[in-house]
Amino acid sequence: MLVALLQALISGLAVGGAYALVALGFSITFTTTKTLNFSHGDFVAIGAFIGVSALLLLSGNPINATSFSGISVGASAQVVAVVAALIVMGLLGVILYVLAVRPFAGKAGMSWVMSTIGFGIILQSIGLAIWGPAPVVVPSPVGDDVVRFFGVGVRPQELLMLAVAIVVMVLFDWVMNRTMIGKAMRAVAHSRQVASLMGINVNAVMIGAFFLSSALAGLSGYLMAPIASASLYLGLGIALKGFSGAIIGGLSNPRGCVFGGFALGILESLVNLWQAQWREIVVFVLVILVLTIRPQGLFGQRLVVKV
Amino acid sequence: MNRYRVPLAIIAFAVAVGLAAAWVANDYYLRIAFMMCVYYLCAAGMNVLVGYAGQKSLGQAGLFAAGAYTVALLTTRADLSGWTAFAAAPIVAGLCGIVIAIPSLRVSGPYLAMVTLAFGVVVEKLVSEWTDVFGGAQGIYGIKPLTIAGEPFSSVQWVWFGLVLSVITQLLLRNLLRGRFGRALRSLQADEIASSSVGVRVYRAKVMAFVIAAVTCGIAGAMVAQQNQYINSDFIGFHLSIFILLLVLLGGSGSQYGPVIGAVVLTLVDALLARWPSVQHFVYGALLLFALYLMPNGIAGVFRSLLSRRVAPLPAPRPATQSSIGGQALVKGRAEEILLDVTQLCKSFGGVRPAQDVSFALKRGHIHALIGPNGAGKSTMINMLSGVLDPDKGNITFVGTQVGGQPSHVICQLGMGRTFQNLRLFSELTVLENVLLGRHCRMKNGFWASLFALPSARHQEADAKSRALNILEFVGLLPHANTAAGSLPYGLQRRAELARAMATEPQLLLLDEPAAGLNPQETAELGKLLKKIGELGITVLMVEHHMDLVM
Repeated sequence: MLVALLQALISGLAVGGAYALVALGFSITFTTTKTLNFSHGDFVAIGAFIGVSALLLLSGNPINATSFSGISVGASAQVVAVVAALIVMGLLGVILYVLAVRPFAGKAGMSWVMSTIGFGIILQSIGLAIWGPAPVVVPSPVGDDVVRFFGVGVRPQELLMLAVAIVVMVLFDWVMNRTMIGKAMRAVAHSRQVASLMGINVNAVMIGAFFLSSALAGLSGYLMAPIASASLYLGLGIALKGFSGAIIGGLSNPRGCVFGGFALGILESLVNLWQAQWREIVVFVLVILVLTIRPQGLFGQRLVVKV
Repeated sequence: MNRYRVPLAIIAFAVAVGLAAAWVANDYYLRIAFMMCVYYLCAAGMNVLVGYAGQKSLGQAGLFAAGAYTVALLTTRADLSGWTAFAAAPIVAGLCGIVIAIPSLRVSGPYLAMVTLAFGVVVEKLVSEWTDVFGGAQGIYGIKPLTIAGEPFSSVQWVWFGLVLSVITQLLLRNLLRGRFGRALRSLQADEIASSSVGVRVYRAKVMAFVIAAVTCGIAGAMVAQQNQYINSDFIGFHLSIFILLLVLLGGSGSQYGPVIGAVVLTLVDALLARWPSVQHFVYGALLLFALYLMPNGIAGVFRSLLSRRVAPLPAPRPATQSSIGGQALVKGRAEEILLDVTQLCKSFGGVRPAQDVSFALKRGHIHALIGPNGAGKSTMINMLSGVLDPDKGNITFVGTQVGGQPSHVICQLGMGRTFQNLRLFSELTVLENVLLGRHCRMKNGFWASLFALPSARHQEADAKSRALNILEFVGLLPHANTAAGSLPYGLQRRAELARAMATEPQLLLLDEPAAGLNPQETAELGKLLKKIGELGITVLMVEHHMDLVM
């Protein structure tokens, strides 16, 4: 029983790391542009496939191969793959901003919800045309042998996921609070006009925010692929739970978002021990409860509307 | 009769389509016509939610599923007849609509969109993974169809049935949206606080919009399940939610005929591209991405801007009387009584305390002013009185009723009207519609009376219009009645807001800096107007810095 609990806790933390990265991505664009990328899930999925394709290309295979059986992947290839996923997804994020967000940002009506969903649908259909609908089992950069201690079996990839998530969070927290770039981002979040008057290039900050947010989506896709196998339908679930984590923690507070992501991962994997099909339902009921009791999230700041 | 022209034209159009369907008698084309009716029903309800109430829902597939699985389970497991199950479908879907409306009372914008999206995903997971009950991807076979004289509907009969339901829906929603409720929904899309201040019950209106959208989607789901006599979980995925939203946005959200256009165009696109599912997917994505950019008001919006719009001439109002412009008859004995009594009122925002133990009383029939330096808490006081903010401590008694902490619409109903420091007009609506919204809480036609356009509803609407025009004449805005409120110059916008507040028949009128931003001449005119308002028997409490106006 205890072993099963520990097991669930660790896999929950690993999945929670992916949710936390996604939640952080949502938080970044929301605080700087007051918009969210509703196709974040497709970005996660495409990010996973960019990584997969890089691995396949470097080992001399066509990018639409559906299996890694008989292919050995070196460490340098993995590094190239993760960099490719980060950069390609970041650039796609910039395209998303230009096409789908900038025309609508700051205007009433939230048209950007629709346009970002549209962008995601286009990405997904292009992805399906290139890679096909079949899921691909991906080798982990840190090996696929289960490590056992105290009877608990842990996949190294899960530990890697957790470690990377924590490093990214700490780094982000430091940048936001201690550097000029972070201060500029927070200024833009506070008031676009005033930041612009202070000589901050608001447009560049917003593009940067979308680049960063999408690159994080790519990173979580790359890291999730060996755990859950890469599939173009993988994204929606992760993005929804990442967003739920962000809501629970408070969209306006990056640290809260990270906490929410991890909490959700653990909760989900504990529910999984009990009844797998209730997983989603428990998660979303929790979100609705949090929104009812504290609409600003557990750590978010309450917005007072001045009348 | 002028009143029946449009409804008759709609019915004639449907009859023509129905006859054409009987003549074609090709199963493939009949199927397309049937799906147009199904998607029209989804879009018509969704238009109320998205186009009028401004609530983006990304989970309509869940409501479609509620209707479809209701008929599926009731006819296969409970062995009820097709018609009984069909009647149950909108009820179940409507209840689900209430469930997703609950979070909308607390959150808005992107949060709400994500919550509705989550609802859709939960329903999808439920029906695809709880296979014992819902059959999952295998689906449920043997759903009983609708029958006529014991025989299942033929393809043509399904099209006719769909057309009849569509026409009924179009006519009923037209009744509802052209009057009191349509205005209320559009006002809450524009500004919930202002909407509540003129007496619109914001939460109830939102729930109403969600339930309307749920009911039409549920009916559509039931029709599809009963026509196919089969339903499975593949049909009700995220793509269906997006498709339903696209129907409204492409057709033209907030427009009467947008859903029809959306349903016809997208069903045709769907049928033409059905052979290439990946291309179809791509086209929908592109439409979502670019349609809003190129056509913000959908196809209906493009047509509207091409055809010059005919503005209905204003009806001649009845001669103005004191009561028709919101005046209060000063009944003997009521003059000089205490209208508003505030005792020991406190409010703090963290460490800032804009009000500490404030007590005062207002007598009926006077113009009062509240003065003080910036940050003294004057606006906070107005906001507490009108129910925008809840006081931390203390009592507010208005016309003998304890109103502290009550919602704005209740306070408005009791007879307290207000204007805002930073104008909160419904800028897309015309000046006349803004003032008509002020009449909202005084109109007595309920939901059903409006839905069926009963004589009482038509009478109320005509009466409200006449009074609104009287008020516009009183404040001198009659020539601007059909102008969008947001395009008026600033000084006139202030007057329009005043007219809207007067339309609520206030006993007490709260004015938050009515002269802010006005030049000396406009301020003097405002002073005269306020005096006239005072003469009508309306008590006024204003917050103001212009001492010449106050004195």
